[in-house]
Amino acid sequence: MEIKAKLKDGITTVKAMAKHPMLTYDVAKKQGVEANFITHINATVNNKVVLDMSTSQFLSKNPIFKFSFKGAAAGDKITMTWVDLLGNTETTDSVIK
Amino acid sequence: MERRKFLGLGVFAAAAALIPATLSAEDYRKTKPDAWKAHTVEDAIAKLYGTSTTIEQGVTVTTPDVAANGGAVPVDISSDIAAKSVAVFQNANPESAVCVFTLNETSIIDYAIKIKMKQSGTITVVVEGRDGKLYSGKKTLSVALGGCEG
Repeated sequence: MEIKAKLKDGITTVKAMAKHPMLTYDVAKKQGVEANFITHINATVNNKVVLDMSTSQFLSKNPIFKFSFKGAAAGDKITMTWVDLLGNTETTDSVIK
Repeated sequence: MERRKFLGLGVFAAAAALIPATLSAEDYRKTKPDAWKAHTVEDAIAKLYGTSTTIEQGVTVTTPDVAANGGAVPVDISSDIAAKSVAVFQNANPESAVCVFTLNETSIIDYAIKIKMKQSGTITVVVEGRDGKLYSGKKTLSVALGGCEG
């Protein structure tokens, strides 16, 4: 996962991209493979949840998303994790600039 | 030595008690599995929140009027409502629910996501306020090239 986190005027804005094919049930059926997509994305800073997102197959392929939150400082570590339908997970760390 | 051990234990116990509180996020896919299978927006909202009655104000949904690529339609969501959760739905795909954000006191409703849309349709965003009411915003757009093949 690629993460860019920037702090400005007390608000941290994070842009992130997860690498995932996000196969819907329809497409998977056509291709004869099992549907698989990210079902949950979570981000924490200092053990506090800053993003908690349950998702369906209708996020784009390699989903890009942006979110904002208050209460973090420059230099804090942000940890993001996704889980997909088959139970694969990926965790990435980044630093807030 | 006895006292030191005792104190160390106390700190550990306090930390253990705090962790579940700070990580108490709701996984809507597990708690509301039916909402993800609903075929209409109203049905999905009702399955998720118990009612499909919403107040149509206070939620801004921004997308291009014509999306060139249905495989990645950019959607911006913003609102000043003090909210518990934000849910995104559309009526262009077989199922309606796209994603649900769980919010806490640090969250700001200023999201940008990219979604798939098979055809032209309407995106509905529902914000569950801390006052228990549901607020919604809508945006209808055309999709030039459907993107469920993606």
